[in-house]
Amino acid sequence: MTADRGLIRTVLRLHRTALVVWTVFVLAAVAGLVWLNTVTVDSVRAALDRCPDNAPGFCGALWASLDYSEPTGWISTLMLYSFWAVAAWAGGSLIGRELESGTAQLAWTQAVTPLRWLAVKLALPALLIVLGGAVFVPVYRWAWSANRDLMGDDWTFNDVFAAHGPAVVAYGLCALAVGTLAGLLLRRSLPALGVAVAVMVVLNQYLEIHRADFWPTKTAPGRKEMPNDWWQQGDGHYHPPSHFWPLHLVETGILLTVTAVATAAAFWLLHRRTTGLPAPHAQQARPRATV
Amino acid sequence: MTDTAIAAAALGKRFGRRGAWALRDCAFRLPAGRVCAVVGPNGAGKSTLLALAAGLLAQTEGTVTVLGTTPGRARARVGFVGQDKPLYPQLTVAQTLDMGADLNPGRWDQPTAERIVAGGSLNPRSRIRSLSGGQRTRVALALALGKRPELLLLDEPMADLDPLARHELMGVLMADAAEHGTTIVMSSHVVAELEDSCDHLLLVGDGRVRLAGDIDELLAAHTRVAVPADTDLAPHTVVESRTAGRQLSALIRPAGPLPGDWRAGGRLSLEELVLAHLRNPQAPALTPSGLEGKAA
Repeated sequence: MTADRGLIRTVLRLHRTALVVWTVFVLAAVAGLVWLNTVTVDSVRAALDRCPDNAPGFCGALWASLDYSEPTGWISTLMLYSFWAVAAWAGGSLIGRELESGTAQLAWTQAVTPLRWLAVKLALPALLIVLGGAVFVPVYRWAWSANRDLMGDDWTFNDVFAAHGPAVVAYGLCALAVGTLAGLLLRRSLPALGVAVAVMVVLNQYLEIHRADFWPTKTAPGRKEMPNDWWQQGDGHYHPPSHFWPLHLVETGILLTVTAVATAAAFWLLHRRTTGLPAPHAQQARPRATV
Repeated sequence: MTDTAIAAAALGKRFGRRGAWALRDCAFRLPAGRVCAVVGPNGAGKSTLLALAAGLLAQTEGTVTVLGTTPGRARARVGFVGQDKPLYPQLTVAQTLDMGADLNPGRWDQPTAERIVAGGSLNPRSRIRSLSGGQRTRVALALALGKRPELLLLDEPMADLDPLARHELMGVLMADAAEHGTTIVMSSHVVAELEDSCDHLLLVGDGRVRLAGDIDELLAAHTRVAVPADTDLAPHTVVESRTAGRQLSALIRPAGPLPGDWRAGGRLSLEELVLAHLRNPQAPALTPSGLEGKAA
C-alpha cells in the first residue's frame, strides 16, 4: 500500500502538467456554461426584447443570440473531441515516451512491478476523466435544456448526443486505453501518438455514421410531417427522443468494450514482455546442453 | 538469504519470433558478495543478460535465478543502471531522489544517495535535462545505490565519466560492496577498466558465455607455452596457438602437469586471456559446469 502511494506520487509528479491542463479545461468548460446561462443569456434576452415585434427574423438580435449558442456549441464540441488529445497524450507522453527513452525501465527497476506501474499510470488519468465527466455532464444537461429557444441544435447532433451522458466519458477512457496499447506496441512516442489518434478518429467516425442503427427504429407509414425532435431515418422510419438513452447506452457499451479489450491487451503484452508467460514444464521438457 | 546472486541455466533470449538469438545456452553461477565483470565485444549479449537478470525482459528459454528467486520477485532487492542511464528529464535531481524514496519504501537510504550526488557538486534543483552525461551517470548511480540493493547490475556504468569521476565512483561502489556485501555486476567492453576492481569474470561472446568464474582461478587454469612446432599439445585444451618458424606458442588449459621442457610464459593478464578467447571463437568455453549441473 505504501509502495502504491509512492507510485501514485511519482505518476502525479511526472504528469502534473497534463493533469492540471485537463482539470483546468473541465473547470473552464463548466464555468463557461454557467456564465452563458446566467450572464450572457440575460443580455441576449434584453436584445431580443428590444425587437419591435418580438419576432427575431431580421432583427439584429438574431446576431446577439449567437453570443449564446456559438460558445455553448463549442464547449460540447471541445469536450467530446477532447478524446483526441487524450489518445495523443496516452500514446505519446504517458507510455510511448517512457518506453522510447528507457525511463520505464528506470521505474521497473525500483521496487515496482511493470504491471503495477501500468495500473497506476492508467488509473489516475482514468479517475480524472471520470471525475471530469461527472462534473461536466450534469452541468451540460442543465445548460443545454435551459434556453432551447436560443439554440438551433437538437439531441441528434454528435456533440450534443455524446455530452448528454456517459458516452463522453467512455470516449475519453477508450482513447486512454487505445493510446496505452499503441504506446506499448510501438514503443515510440510519435508513431504511438499518430496511431492512437487515427484509431480513435476512425472508431468515432464509425460510431457516428452507424449510431442510428444500434437500436430499432419506429415507423410512421405515410406520415409526411414529422416533429422536429424526431430523428428521421428515411422511408417513414425514425427515432423518437425516447430512443436517446438506448442509443446512447449501446454506444457507450461499445466504447467500454473496446476500452476493456485494449486495456487487457496492454497488460497481457507488458506481462509477456517483462515476466514471460511462465511455462516451467516446457523449460524442463527441453533441456539444453550447458556449454 | 542465499549464497548465489545469479544462476543461469540454458538461458536464451531472442527478440521476435524469428529474430537472431541475442543470448543462447547461457549457464553460469555468480556467488553472492562478488564483484563481477561482464566483458565482451559490442553486441555480444551483455545488455540482454543484465536486462534478463533485472526482470526487464522475459527469457525465451532456460532459467535465471536472482537472489534465490525469479528476477521479478527479486526486483526490490536489485539495483539496475541501464546503458543509456535513463532518467526523467523534467524532474530535478532532488525530485529524482524523492522518486527513489517513493518507489522503494522501507529500503531507501537518502544519506547515501545524497552523498553520491553531492560528490559531483550537483545542484539538487538542476533539471536532469540540463546535466552532462557524466552527471546523469552520477544521479543514476545515486538512485541505484540509494535503494540499498543486494545485487547491483550496471550496464557500461563508466562510459560517460571522466577519469577522475570514474575513479571516485568506482571507489564509492567498492566501498559499498565492502561495507554491505553488495554483489556488483558491471559490464564493459574495456577489460582494463574492470581488471583492478573485479574478482569474478563473465566473458560473453556471440551470445554465449565463453568464460565464467573466479578471475584468479580462470587465470590459474590457463598457461602460455612455447614448444617446438611439431609438438602434440594433446590432451591439453588449446585456446589459441600460433606457429612462428619452428616454434609454436600457445595458450592452453593444462589437463595435467606439463612436461618440464615446455617453456611457460610469464604471468598471464586478464586482458590477454579475454582477447585470446575472443579471437578464437572455436575455443571451448570454460564455465564451472559442475555447479550448473546441480543448479539445473
